[in-house]
Amino acid sequence: MAGDLFNQLVEAHYTPLFRFALSLAKNSSDAGDLTQQTFFIWAKQGHTLREAGKAKSWLFTTLYREFLRGRRRAERVTALEDLGPVEADPPAPEIDVVTGMDANLVVAALQEVDEVYRAPLTLFYMQDLSYKEIAEILEVPIGTVMSRLSRGKAQLRAALARKETGQRSKVVPFQTSPARKLS
Amino acid sequence: MNNEEAKFILRAYRSNGADATDATFCAALEQARQDPALGAWFALEQAFDRTVSAKLNQVPAPAGLRESILAGGRVTAPTKFQRSWWQHPAVLTMAASVALLLAVGVALWPKRASAGATFMEFVAVDAQNSLMHHMGHGEKTAALQVMLSQPTTKISEHLSVDFAALRAAGCRTVQFNGHEVLEVCFQREGALFHCYIAQRADFPAFIAAVAPALTNLEGSSVATWADASLLYTVVGKVGRSTLEKLL
Repeated sequence: MAGDLFNQLVEAHYTPLFRFALSLAKNSSDAGDLTQQTFFIWAKQGHTLREAGKAKSWLFTTLYREFLRGRRRAERVTALEDLGPVEADPPAPEIDVVTGMDANLVVAALQEVDEVYRAPLTLFYMQDLSYKEIAEILEVPIGTVMSRLSRGKAQLRAALARKETGQRSKVVPFQTSPARKLS
Repeated sequence: MNNEEAKFILRAYRSNGADATDATFCAALEQARQDPALGAWFALEQAFDRTVSAKLNQVPAPAGLRESILAGGRVTAPTKFQRSWWQHPAVLTMAASVALLLAVGVALWPKRASAGATFMEFVAVDAQNSLMHHMGHGEKTAALQVMLSQPTTKISEHLSVDFAALRAAGCRTVQFNGHEVLEVCFQREGALFHCYIAQRADFPAFIAAVAPALTNLEGSSVATWADASLLYTVVGKVGRSTLEKLL
């Protein structure tokens, strides 16, 4: 029975968890490890969760905590006091341009967003969780989630614009050589 | 609500319509329907969100990840619950007795400081512990939290609260001298603040004016003011001038 539940949870959530992990860890290998680690913690401790309906939130919270635990060893997370004021919407590439972008390039732009905004922004764009559930998972007040979404979107627009410019500069325009004068 | 405030709220509205029944967005959505400029901004914002969501949801998990999770799960045994020494009933009973004695001792301790000063010390300390336990606001406090977070809101001029309704909605409460005090956390331009709301009738010795009075306490800046029935205190680990801007 417990095995069935574990299998169901893996089927339902391993891909979204991997996407969330990928935005945090910035590489596929670490993201895969983080996703596996999360499910192994569930296999050990998940039976202590009293409300089965909370399993999804529990998995996302656990993954985020595991990421922070690993990250704390490496460097300090941006302190709230260091955050600047909300920027106005920066110029963003046209929607059509983003639509034409490769998904990996959009994810790469998302990975350029500061970590403190990236986590709520990724969960928001996965569309499966409301801002209230995101607040619960990240253990911050609701107003903070809204504020971080605003700032995160501004940074994402700027990152997408940079990616678009980078992409354009790689395209070498075809130029016809000037016609030789016949002597 | 002005358009900037509406935008702040609408940026958290999911483009798949999953938040359509969430009351927090009602007023902002209505404003977007009425105001063509806001409506146009919202349509673009939703189109942008839809595009990014679609891209993110195209990213596949690596081949073999599912299988390795399932295989690893099969060999990971659940942790058996073991009672720690401190969870033994005898130890718990003893701890409860000590706690009761301490509580009685504190309650009977002579109160030397003025009511206002001790209340402000209390909120300053509570605010410092914010990362540990300022969770569990009821969902209806979200609107108040959003209003407090607006960069343009002058809190001492616009804060109007129905104490009983907010408490009934599940707002976080703290106990001071046997009376309930409501607390709402909010963020303003990157800094975290805490707004404490108490009923004047519960603290008759606490004298506060209609105009906010500022002081520094326990490394925080504290502003206090009152209206006809309520006492308001806002605490932030920021300089006095930063706090003043909110008021």
